[in-house]
Amino acid sequence: MNKLLNIARQSAWNRRSTLVWVVVSLALATALLWTLERLRHDIRSSFSQSVSGVDLIVGARSSPVQLMLFSVFHIGSVPQSMSMDSVHKLAQHRSVSWVVPLSLGDSHRGFPVLGTTPAYFQHFAYGDKQPLALRQGAVFADTLDGLYEAVIGAEVARQTGYGLGQSITLGHGMQDHDHDHKGEQADEHADKPFKVVGILAPTGTPVDRTVHVSLQALEALHLGWVAGTPMPGGHIPADQARKFNLQPEEVTAALVGLKSRAAVFNVQRFVNLYEEEALMGVMPGVALGELWSVLGLGENALLAVSALVALVSVVSLMAVVLAGLNERRRELAVLRAVGAAPRHVLGLLTLEGLWVTCAGVVSGVLLAHAGMALATPWLQQSLGIRLQVAAPLPTQLALAGAVLLAGLLASLGPAWRAYRLSLADGLSPRV
Amino acid sequence: MIDIEPLRFAWTRGGPDTLLLGRLQVDRGQTVFLHGPSGCGKSTLLGLLAGVLTPHQGRVSLLGQDWAALKAGQRDAFRSDHVGVMFQQFNLLPYLSVLDNVTLPCRFSALRRERCQAAGGPEAAAQSWLQRMGLPEALWSRRADTLSVGQQQRVAAARALMGQPELILADEPTSALDAALRQGFMDLLLQAARDAGSTLVCVSHDEQQAARFDVQWSLPALQQAGVNA
Repeated sequence: MNKLLNIARQSAWNRRSTLVWVVVSLALATALLWTLERLRHDIRSSFSQSVSGVDLIVGARSSPVQLMLFSVFHIGSVPQSMSMDSVHKLAQHRSVSWVVPLSLGDSHRGFPVLGTTPAYFQHFAYGDKQPLALRQGAVFADTLDGLYEAVIGAEVARQTGYGLGQSITLGHGMQDHDHDHKGEQADEHADKPFKVVGILAPTGTPVDRTVHVSLQALEALHLGWVAGTPMPGGHIPADQARKFNLQPEEVTAALVGLKSRAAVFNVQRFVNLYEEEALMGVMPGVALGELWSVLGLGENALLAVSALVALVSVVSLMAVVLAGLNERRRELAVLRAVGAAPRHVLGLLTLEGLWVTCAGVVSGVLLAHAGMALATPWLQQSLGIRLQVAAPLPTQLALAGAVLLAGLLASLGPAWRAYRLSLADGLSPRV
Repeated sequence: MIDIEPLRFAWTRGGPDTLLLGRLQVDRGQTVFLHGPSGCGKSTLLGLLAGVLTPHQGRVSLLGQDWAALKAGQRDAFRSDHVGVMFQQFNLLPYLSVLDNVTLPCRFSALRRERCQAAGGPEAAAQSWLQRMGLPEALWSRRADTLSVGQQQRVAAARALMGQPELILADEPTSALDAALRQGFMDLLLQAARDAGSTLVCVSHDEQQAARFDVQWSLPALQQAGVNA
């Protein structure tokens, strides 16, 4: 083998101008598979890490995935809200330990604004039941004094550079994540500025991209609004708002924690059969499972396409080596003449295929890592997904191994043909 | 050394005989000049001598070993140990240096590698044979395809001589050379083969050279003898 390695390397190097394109195509295919697998894994873990310690998400009856996406990931919307009465009833259920109402719909410079109660910071958890932690400041107070106070996520702080005491204004509705057009920000709520009182530690979840305020604050912002627009002449200044009843009548959804997980089906049934309005209780794990089964279709399609791309490049490797074989008949005859057996010719061609595939796979992995390193800030910013560029996943290694194996198999074809040729040609090729 | 017992060979089974030879023997160290018109079977005979082809009848032995008695793999090993080969051109791997081309046989044959030890190893042996074939030292580390055809033939000859194989087969080694170069090349090749103690079988059209060989084989005449036998 050793005597062949050198010859295989130099022979391949001699034909580098053609082989380099095979390496490039293999590298692109490998990079595609490698990145896709990483994305798939990180999106899933990112999603599964985003909510923990919540037993049920309760909201108006719609699709469970839709409710979960909106209430936890602030993606999309829900058609209806649920009444605060129902939230109170739910809290009185004997199996329920805590209920945290959530109200969504406003935004600040593209970051969603979440109206909730201070209990949110106590009960909401991510990852493996890790509670939210404050990096600076404190949670907004649940009093009228703390009405215009906000707690921002780590990513909001990083991107905007806001510190404690910063005054911010909110916009109505979810705006585009377009941070370059600050001037165009719709400041419908400019009359009631908020003060940043707390900054959360990073979590790697959508919490990082969220501005948290109290439910009453959202109520105050929308005093004098009807059906999502300000009523003419109905403007109420910030200070005066405190005199109104700021208890909300409706919220978007509620997170529910139980005293014992065993009661989850009981409480879910209670919610689903609730008579005063059409509600539903969603177990986050079940909803995630549903989401995966939907995403799975797309993922598998992407994976299949990348596998095809890999197959195409492996076939191109085979085609290039086969096409070059006739020109190399002389080279193979020379090798035979100096004592190489046909099995050496077989080994030579196989080694060459292996070299080329290895070069392709290794540069593909490097390419993928470079690409991911470049894309990470953008992904983090726009989707809140943190790519782990560090250690390769077993599935990534398996895919790279599959490409390598396919390359090896593909080079056996031309190698076998060369073997037959050198057997037939003997020492003097008829070329 | 070489022992041919009356043989028949046809390219296709049942087809017309390409070769029909009587008994032929060559002693160790003899030089053989093989000539005849194109297509009369000279290359086929070389193939039989090298054990690449086997006759349908009769026997070809080298050093007392019947080629047909060996399996394909054993034939390859026996050939790389005892036979050096050169063609009329394109003998070299273009991407290797001259020196690496010459040492190639030692990569595949342990026996020839061992025989090079006397000269100080394959590298040293290669240098010595290149010198013997009159190739300037400045060319030794150049890529093989940067050499002229005449220089390449000298490199091919040096390679065939590496490890002093008992038999050297040369298939029209001078036919790609200018007439002016042929004489000098043949002188060097014959002298080197004698120095190595190798038997040389050389196919050539150039009958002016014939007299300088120990034995002259005219293939049409040999064939006729085979028919009569």
